Amino acid sequence: MITAGFVSGGFIETVRAFITLQTLGARLIQDFTYTHVGAALVNSALVGICGLVIVFFSEIHLAGPTMAAILTLTGFGLFGNTPFNSIPIILGVWIAAVTARKTLGAYSIIAMFGTALAPIVTYLAFELFGGGLWTIVLGIAVGLVIGFLLPAIAGTMLLTHQGYNLYNIGFSCGFLGLFIAGLLKAAGRLRDLSIVWNETFHPVLYLLIPFFGVMLIVCGFLIDRNVSVRDTLASFVKIQKLPGRLPSDFIDMASAGGTLVNMGLLALASWTYAAIIKAPMNGPVLGGMLTIIGFGGFGKSLKNCWPVMAGTIIATLVFGKSLTAPGPILAALFCTTLAPVAGQFGIIAGLLVGFIHLTMVETTAIWHGGLDLYNNGFAGGLTATLFIAFMQWYRTNRPREDFEQ
Amino acid sequence: MKRKEFLGRLIGEISGYILQGNPLRMVISLHQEEDGAHISIFDDIKRDESELKKIRTALNPTSKRPELAEYYGLMAGHDTPWDARLKLVGWQIKKATVENSDSGIQIELWLGGDAFNPDHFTL
Repeated sequence: MITAGFVSGGFIETVRAFITLQTLGARLIQDFTYTHVGAALVNSALVGICGLVIVFFSEIHLAGPTMAAILTLTGFGLFGNTPFNSIPIILGVWIAAVTARKTLGAYSIIAMFGTALAPIVTYLAFELFGGGLWTIVLGIAVGLVIGFLLPAIAGTMLLTHQGYNLYNIGFSCGFLGLFIAGLLKAAGRLRDLSIVWNETFHPVLYLLIPFFGVMLIVCGFLIDRNVSVRDTLASFVKIQKLPGRLPSDFIDMASAGGTLVNMGLLALASWTYAAIIKAPMNGPVLGGMLTIIGFGGFGKSLKNCWPVMAGTIIATLVFGKSLTAPGPILAALFCTTLAPVAGQFGIIAGLLVGFIHLTMVETTAIWHGGLDLYNNGFAGGLTATLFIAFMQWYRTNRPREDFEQ
Repeated sequence: MKRKEFLGRLIGEISGYILQGNPLRMVISLHQEEDGAHISIFDDIKRDESELKKIRTALNPTSKRPELAEYYGLMAGHDTPWDARLKLVGWQIKKATVENSDSGIQIELWLGGDAFNPDHFTL
C-alpha cells in the first residue's frame, strides 16, 4: 500500500498530504482519499504497521484476532485513524496494563481496537482550538486518559452482549464517547458533524480489494504445507459451520489455509456487492471491506454474514434510502459485526438484527458526536444486547426444564 | 484479578459444562495454596474417548494466548444459558487432566503462578 500510495501520488506531494492528514479532523465521516489518495494509502499502511508493532513487542500470535485488529486499523487508516491520533490511545492502554501489572499482550486487542476513539485526539489538538503546542499536548493527554480507561470498560461491555457483537471495543468506545460528547456539548464545544465522501473513481482504490482477495485465496491454498487442496476446502467448510461468537479464532479452530480462503472470499463477496450497486470505492467503503476481511479470521464467514447484510439491505429499501448513500453502504458492510447472531440463531435472527441495525446506526453517530470511528460496533452492541437479553430471558424461563412442581 | 472472582468464573464455566449433561450428581472440590489452586470436578456420566479428547484439547491449548485469556476470558462463567466454552477456561489455567473415574468424568484443573508445581498436589 505504501508503494501504491507513493507511485500513484508522487513522493513529495504524498508526504505533504500525509502530514496534512495528521492534522485533519477525523470524526465520522472524514474520507482521507478525498484529500489525497496516495497519502491515504500511506497513512493506512502506517496505522496498520502500528498494529504489527504492538503484536511484535507484546509477543502474541499473529492469528485470527490480531489479523482482525491489524486489518481494521489499516481500513480505518483510510478514514479517521492516523499514527498521530492513534498512538496516544495505545500508550494509554499500555499504562493501564502496567498499572494493573499485566503485560501489554494481555491488553493488546484493546490497545489496537481502542484507537476507535482516536478522533478525539485530533479534535482537541487541531480541530477545536485551531492548533498550537498546548492543544496538541491536550489532545495527546486526553488520548492517554481514554486509553487508560478502555480496559475497564471493554470487559464489562463484553458481558452485556455475551460476545455476539464482534466489534466490542467499538461498543465500548461508543459508550465512553457518549460521556465525552456530553462533556463537550455541555461546554458548548461539540461541533456539528459533516460528511467528507470521495466519489471520484481511482483505479488503485477500485482494484485494491479484489487483488487482495485473490492473493489471500492463493496464499490460503499454499500456506499449509503437506495439506491438500481438499483439506483446505474442508477446513473452509468447517469455518462456515462455526457460529463465530467471540472469541472464535478460525486459525485455531480450523486451519490457516481455510481461514485465508474464507477471508479472500469475503473480500470478493463484499467488493462484488459494492460494485453491483455502484458504490464509490473510497476510503470508508474500502475500510469496511478490510474490516470484513480481517474478521474473516475471527468470527465472520460467508454463511453468517449474508443474513445480516441482507437484513440491512432490506431495511435500506423499506425505508426508501439509497443503497449507495454513506450511511446505508457502510451499515451494509459493518453490520457484519452481528454475524455471530446469524451463526448461532439462524437466518431469521440474522435478518432481524440486520434490519434493526440500520435503524440504530443512523442515530448513534450523533450521540457520540462522531468520535467513535466504530459507530457500527456501537450500534451493533446495542442491537446485540437487546436481542441477547430477550434470548437469555427466554432460555432461562423454559418451563420444560424446571423442576416438577 | 481477585482470586475469589477468578475461581468463581472458572468453576462457573466448568460446572456449566457438566450440567449440560444433566447429571444426577456433581461434586466440585477446591484446594488452595499460596501460589496456586486445584479444582476437581466429578459427575456420574461416563464419556467416550472422543469426547474426553475434545475436552482435553479445549482445556490444554497448545500455546499461551494472553491476548484472549485476559480480555475474552472475562466471559467465563457468565453465559450459562448457552453452551459452555471450555477453551475460555483452558487459556487461564496451567494444566488440566480429564479422565473417566469409576462413576463418571473427572476433570482436574491446576492454576497458579509460574513457580506453582502441580505435582505437589494430591486429592
